[in-house]
Amino acid sequence: MAEPDRPFSFRGRSMAARDGETLLAALSRDRLPLLRRSLQYHRPQGPFCGIGHCAGCLVRVNGRPNVRACRHELGPGDVISTENAWPSPDWDLLGAIGILAPRGVDSLHGLRRPAFATPLYQRLVRRLAGTGEPPTEEAARAIAAPALERAAEVVIVGGGDAGRAVATALAARGVRPLVLERTLRSTPIVGADFVPATTAVFLPPPSEAGDPRFTLLAFREPGQGMRVTARSVVLATGGYDSSLLFRGNDRPGVLSADAALSLTSDSRRPPFRRAVLVGGGARAAEVLERCGNDVEAVVAPGEIRPAVVGAANELAIPLYPRSLLLGVRGRRRVRSVQLKSRGGGASTTIGCDAVILAHRRVPHAQLFFQAGASMEWRSDPGAYAPKVRPDGVTSVPGLYAAGSVAGLAARDLAGHAQGIADAIGGNGSSNAPTFAPLLDERPNELLGYYRELLRTRGHGRWTACACVDVLVSEVEKAVRSGYRGIEVIKRYTSLGTGICQGRYCLPDALLVLSLLEDRPPFEVGYITQRPPVVPTPLAALASLPSPSAEVVP
Amino acid sequence: MTFSRDSYRTVVVGAGIVGLFTAYHLARAGGGPVLVVDRGFLSGGGSGRNGGGVRQQWETRGTVRLARESVEAYRRFGIEFGFNIWFRQTGYLFLAENESELARLRNVHAVVASEGLASHVLDAAGVARLVEGIAPGATVGGTYLRTDGTLYPFPVVWGVYEAARSLGVEVALGVEALGVEVRDGRVAGLITSKGPVATPTVVNAAGGWSGDFSRRSGLDVPNVATRHEILASEAMKPFLDPMVVRASDGLYFSQSMRGEVIGGLSLPHRPGTSRGPTSSPAFLIAMARALVGLLPRLGAVGVLRAWSGYYDDTPDGFPVVGEDPRLPGFVHGNGFGGHGFMLAPATSRRIAGAVLGQPTDLDPAQFSPSRFLAPASPSTPERLQLG
Ligand SMILES: Cc1cc2nc3c(=O)[nH]c(=O)nc-3n(C[C@H](O)[C@H](O)[C@H](O)COP(=O)(O)OP(=O)(O)OC[C@H]3O[C@@H](n4cnc5c(N)ncnc54)[C@H](O)[C@@H]3O)c2cc1C
Ligand code: FES
Repeated sequence: MAEPDRPFSFRGRSMAARDGETLLAALSRDRLPLLRRSLQYHRPQGPFCGIGHCAGCLVRVNGRPNVRACRHELGPGDVISTENAWPSPDWDLLGAIGILAPRGVDSLHGLRRPAFATPLYQRLVRRLAGTGEPPTEEAARAIAAPALERAAEVVIVGGGDAGRAVATALAARGVRPLVLERTLRSTPIVGADFVPATTAVFLPPPSEAGDPRFTLLAFREPGQGMRVTARSVVLATGGYDSSLLFRGNDRPGVLSADAALSLTSDSRRPPFRRAVLVGGGARAAEVLERCGNDVEAVVAPGEIRPAVVGAANELAIPLYPRSLLLGVRGRRRVRSVQLKSRGGGASTTIGCDAVILAHRRVPHAQLFFQAGASMEWRSDPGAYAPKVRPDGVTSVPGLYAAGSVAGLAARDLAGHAQGIADAIGGNGSSNAPTFAPLLDERPNELLGYYRELLRTRGHGRWTACACVDVLVSEVEKAVRSGYRGIEVIKRYTSLGTGICQGRYCLPDALLVLSLLEDRPPFEVGYITQRPPVVPTPLAALASLPSPSAEVVP
Repeated sequence: MTFSRDSYRTVVVGAGIVGLFTAYHLARAGGGPVLVVDRGFLSGGGSGRNGGGVRQQWETRGTVRLARESVEAYRRFGIEFGFNIWFRQTGYLFLAENESELARLRNVHAVVASEGLASHVLDAAGVARLVEGIAPGATVGGTYLRTDGTLYPFPVVWGVYEAARSLGVEVALGVEALGVEVRDGRVAGLITSKGPVATPTVVNAAGGWSGDFSRRSGLDVPNVATRHEILASEAMKPFLDPMVVRASDGLYFSQSMRGEVIGGLSLPHRPGTSRGPTSSPAFLIAMARALVGLLPRLGAVGVLRAWSGYYDDTPDGFPVVGEDPRLPGFVHGNGFGGHGFMLAPATSRRIAGAVLGQPTDLDPAQFSPSRFLAPASPSTPERLQLG
């Protein structure tokens, strides 16, 4: 493997990266770095998701704030600093806030008296809030680039296995699709136009009259705007590993399976040595396969599937099925986890340096919401996903779903891809099918788990929303005060309004609210997914051509 | 059981800030029992989707006075209602791009100053001192009033909601008002999706849908709903104190307590509420261009989310307050355009006053529902519909 020979500066120290390495990878040779403190209480928080969706790896790069270390491919001479922690994320004096106010600071009712002091509170709180200093003008100039404009018969969002299968099936029919893929480096697809490092951020409902029907906005890292028009859109956006509620669930060292997998490869050891793996299904098996040598134990909220049992036995890894994950210990990093078997069993402590969450994979469905597709509640995994026919057809004419976001199993990918290609080729202007209004009323697996967990002491201090630093107790208090439904709880507590836009807090919040409000999760409501899908630089949007229409619908 | 009683003294349609404040004032004045119905959730209308701007710089005295009284109410809000609304009086700055816009702003300044408010006319250098990093040549000057400001709208809604309820106001969510029941030429009840309720007075505080509700009740009104979009950026450390509004295109933005840049821009939207509160690429692009053009360094800031809501516009830019002369018992509390939050505290007291039959200090040529029934409106319109 190549030696690190790309110099960059991190917090004033000279370091080196390998060619094509992300900043997070370069900083995670042995263990994950500590890059930030939480927004309100300045608790240490580490990189969590590894795929550019959380708030755990925000740094300042060459004068630009809020850059995600896991999405930044290092350039020559990059100057990196950390923000919102003083003097550093390791030793932050403001951490005292979290220690002095373990139950949180109630800024909704507090900081009002005496009235003459309000301007003072405001100045202080403003200073403490905000993740980074505003950018420099040079930083804005450096990311500006002329917009990319593309017209395509078919655009495929997501170049993972499902997107690739559809692209290949289309190519075989003589259609050359445009594929947008979010990961920074990935292999092109034969027969398709492949654009890597590009995130589709906004897909408005199709225009009824127009041809092509769809206009999609995207941006390419770090800040190039892109506008695509297409007759058909295939969304193969996959899913992501969700978070879990327990004591210290935002402690550095707690990370998603996405992060564990993205920071590990044939030539790269994972950034942990003794991880506790949470989950007993297919995703846990994937983590074992790639990082098994560095896993200490497998813990699952429910049963552990035979495939995982087999792999763990081979590596002599102990199994803890049907366990409550009560919490982690360790002040600045995870040092151990505390378990209890469900139904009132004994508790156990396992020493570890990471907790990998692989227990629940949630679909990346924002673009379907934006496009106006009919959505449905899926009790497994407990999330909303588009209504889809087996051939990928959704309720929006010309919009198709492929792969796991459509709830299609990985083993049938090629067959489904053929079906989608047939549906697109056969009849691009097909009428929207009607879907039976079936309601999936089966209880989500984790509901019973959380019911048990919420009875344990001290659960109020768990973090319900890591981006904005909202505690479970604040959610409970809102419910007790008579506020109901996720839309109102969101506005009351600010949960879900941070930089991940609810990706990591909503799946759990829906279940917890369902328990607190004593009604099924699908009656708690859902938060309308608002564009853009990920924070999109103003420079990228500003470079795009103005839509010609005089009147905006 | 949806409602606790069969009949109420007053039923308010809409649990937005105007409906809740009106119910609160009614209950305080002993005008109960009061029922508020809303088909959505609390803060689901404009009151949960706005930019939180509160200004007293207006073109007409009538509006300046309502706004000034509301500013006083918001200053006291934290103590009176028990919620911290982060009302931050760090000013509104109106920007002119050329001399003729500046002349218009000077006229506004003259009205505002003559009402005893300390507004200032600034030159380009004065503007640059308030807006760090503004592009050179972007402005020739503007007006500034320090006691204008911004607030966090949600806790205002919670505070008034809780205060109204503790005074006995009943708030029924998930209940749609379908129209009024008329007997002997006056209001006798409200027809709802959950059945009828008897009441001699219905207040139409349905925000962007108030025109729809009036028309459903058989009243032809000129209220028009227009969709307006808004966005929020990633949070940054404080760099901007005032709310900035540009006269030419209605661009407005401020930096919230949390550090996000929050703002919008006027685009020619198609009227009507059929489309739902969605966002459009046209807005994102126009807004990004406007922001980056004015403050180039914002190019490196990410847009976090965009959303939209409805303005409830009237032809002359004034709200509609008072009983409809065509239908006794039908009281209007609507037509707030894009400025209902900043006018709600003072205006809602007058709406409650109209319900209780109290005399009003509002100029009927500007605020009464009957002004639209006369052949031509005699008063000067309120045209400073920016920000
Ligand atoms: C993007 C945007 C930015 C804005 N910025 C500002 C600002 O900076 N400053 C400012 O002062 N104002 C601003 N406004 C305007 C302000 O938000 C509104 O004027 C104000 O919230 C109106 O309050 P309301 O109570 O009249 O209406 P709403 O808050 O809209 O409440 C009306 C309620 O009526 C309900 N309803 C409607 N029809 C029915 C029916 N038939 N039956 C039952 N219920 C019904 C709705 O569900 C809704 O909850 C902005 C508005 C928007 C959209
Ligand atoms: S670890 Fe980079 S965004 Fe989550």
